[in-house]
Amino acid sequence: MSQVLRIQDVHRIYENEAGITHVLHGVNLSVERGELLVIMGPSGSGKSTLMNIMGCLDRPTLGTYTLEGIDVSELSDDDLAFIRSTRIGFVFQSFNLLPRATVLRNVTLPLIYARTPKAERVERAIEALTMVGVPVDLFDHRSNQLSGGQMQRVAIARAIVNDPALILADEPTGNLDSATSDMVMATFSHLRDQNKTVVLITHDPEVAEWADRVIYIRDGILLTAEQEEAYVKSRDGQARGRT
Amino acid sequence: MKFSDLMYETWSALESNRGRSALTILGIVIGIAAVIAMTSLIGGIRQSIVDELGLNQARLIYINCWTDRELTFEDLDRLQANVPGYDYVTGAGYGYASVSSDTKQAEAQITAVKPIYFEATGTKMLQGRPFSEAEERSGAMVVVLDQASLRTLFDDPEAQVVGKTLRIGNDSYTIIGVSESIGMMWGDTVLLYAPFSVNASRISGSESISNIIGFATEGEDLDDVVRRTENYLASYFNMTEQQKEESIYVYSMKSLTDELDSTMMSFSILMTAIASISLLVGGIGIMNMMLTNVTERIREIGLRKALGAKNSDITRQFLLESVFLCLAGGVIGIIFGYLGALAFSGLATNLAQTVQVRPVIDVSTVVIAASICVGIGILFGFGPARRAAKLDPVESLQYQ
Ligand SMILES: Nc1ncnc2c1ncn2[C@@H]1O[C@H](COP(=O)(O)OP(=O)(O)O)[C@@H](O)[C@H]1O
Ligand SMILES: [Mg+2]
Repeated sequence: MSQVLRIQDVHRIYENEAGITHVLHGVNLSVERGELLVIMGPSGSGKSTLMNIMGCLDRPTLGTYTLEGIDVSELSDDDLAFIRSTRIGFVFQSFNLLPRATVLRNVTLPLIYARTPKAERVERAIEALTMVGVPVDLFDHRSNQLSGGQMQRVAIARAIVNDPALILADEPTGNLDSATSDMVMATFSHLRDQNKTVVLITHDPEVAEWADRVIYIRDGILLTAEQEEAYVKSRDGQARGRT
Repeated sequence: MKFSDLMYETWSALESNRGRSALTILGIVIGIAAVIAMTSLIGGIRQSIVDELGLNQARLIYINCWTDRELTFEDLDRLQANVPGYDYVTGAGYGYASVSSDTKQAEAQITAVKPIYFEATGTKMLQGRPFSEAEERSGAMVVVLDQASLRTLFDDPEAQVVGKTLRIGNDSYTIIGVSESIGMMWGDTVLLYAPFSVNASRISGSESISNIIGFATEGEDLDDVVRRTENYLASYFNMTEQQKEESIYVYSMKSLTDELDSTMMSFSILMTAIASISLLVGGIGIMNMMLTNVTERIREIGLRKALGAKNSDITRQFLLESVFLCLAGGVIGIIFGYLGALAFSGLATNLAQTVQVRPVIDVSTVVIAASICVGIGILFGFGPARRAAKLDPVESLQYQ
């Protein structure tokens, strides 16, 4: 298996009027091609921060991030934009579709920024929509006419339309009921079977069951499943000891 | 991002904000409409002056010379003989007298001329004919009436009067022609033309000429003829440079339209200044709307960046929106401005009756107006567009 990304000793420190917030503390992580990796952790632990760095929306304050063998920590804004348009696909908790645009238009949007020729765009958008199971008769609907599950599948189609090296999903089932959530996870699982790489953040242990590998994050530090188990045990033990 | 894609984005963004967009461009519409209305009216006025005067008049040179004595035809003959470039130089004397028809009496302004004067001024005859060289030389008792005088003297502007008799003082004159009216006289004053010799000997008793016109030879440079005439008159009357400045004023129809152009130009500059204020206000309105747009669409901007939009893509998207808005305002302004000028000139024509002004709009004006709009769009759209482009993608995506 080949490596898609490698994060080495990454720190993310926010500095603003409120002071300094040290969010990620020396994170190390690598992800293999065709892997469905789930990241779990309490709210505020730094999941989204890590994901934004992986998606080249943000840069590490310290450490290196290598995507497909390229050290992206030092690239310019425009280069990062190019990488996002060609190598990354995002799926958000709140779908983030353009409400007034059609399903097809929403899915072609990344291709517009990637300067894909017009003739190719629709073809690829239809391919992506078909792959995630959006029925053809919805293609020309406005995205605000869809149900939540349909919207999230359109968003997934948008994320895969540029055939990215990495699909990043930040709590994609957070706004969905469990049945719809299962459908969406089946879609991700299906993508993984097509040898696509997916990194997915969730709170939901049921969602985590779809994963090839689950890692945990607490206070900006990554934990393996065993470390997490040990942490939870000791914390519960302490809690019991106190009572 | 390709231009056609940008256009699509712009169109759908503005479409979803139709009401607000329309209100915002009002300032631009008004500013451009004012400029277009003014320039097309001015163009129309200029055109109608040129039309009214006709080609004939293009070769006329008006000669004004104030000295301690009145000028006579003898002076004019010398001028014509000594200044090259004239077909002829002639002039008119003026007198006042009371005239009466069989039924009416009125005060008359008498224009005393030689026949060539009619030719020089292009005066058209509605009835009869002007008097001849022979009649002028022999002092025939004939007159030509201005058409507006018919109402006063004969109660009927259409009266057929050739052959009828008018009395001036103790003399009887035969009306041999009626000329097209050259303008309006105040009150009941009538206007008539008499042979120069007759006026001098029988009516006003004056040989002086107060309205001198020269008719330049075809192909002469009028400015040259004007200059030669001024120099000749100055030396003829032994004037100093300063006297010449003060007492001699020679101009051609061409220099008159040139002067008109420069007067209109300063008027246009004034109008443009006023319109600029409207455009400035319009521009600020556009900027305000674009800032609102950016704020409302922060999440969308974050999303677009996440999907791969470069900062320059975002800048161009918002810049194009404001340019498009301004240009739309400009186009509407041009249409309304022209319609406004049409309505105004229609009104003016109705009131004045005699002059017809049709607004004239030329391509360069339209191009300039459109460019100004594009300029305003860029100028006032750039700030908001840069602001959108500089937004942090992560924060924008979290924006509620
Ligand atoms: N721009 C920022 N400036 C300062 N602190 C931030 C900023 N963004 C996130 N944080 C802080 O970083 C921590 C981790 O945030 P985040 O990665 O969003 O957590 P999660 O996604 O795991 O809930 C939180 O405590 C949050 O307040
Ligand atoms: Mg989060």
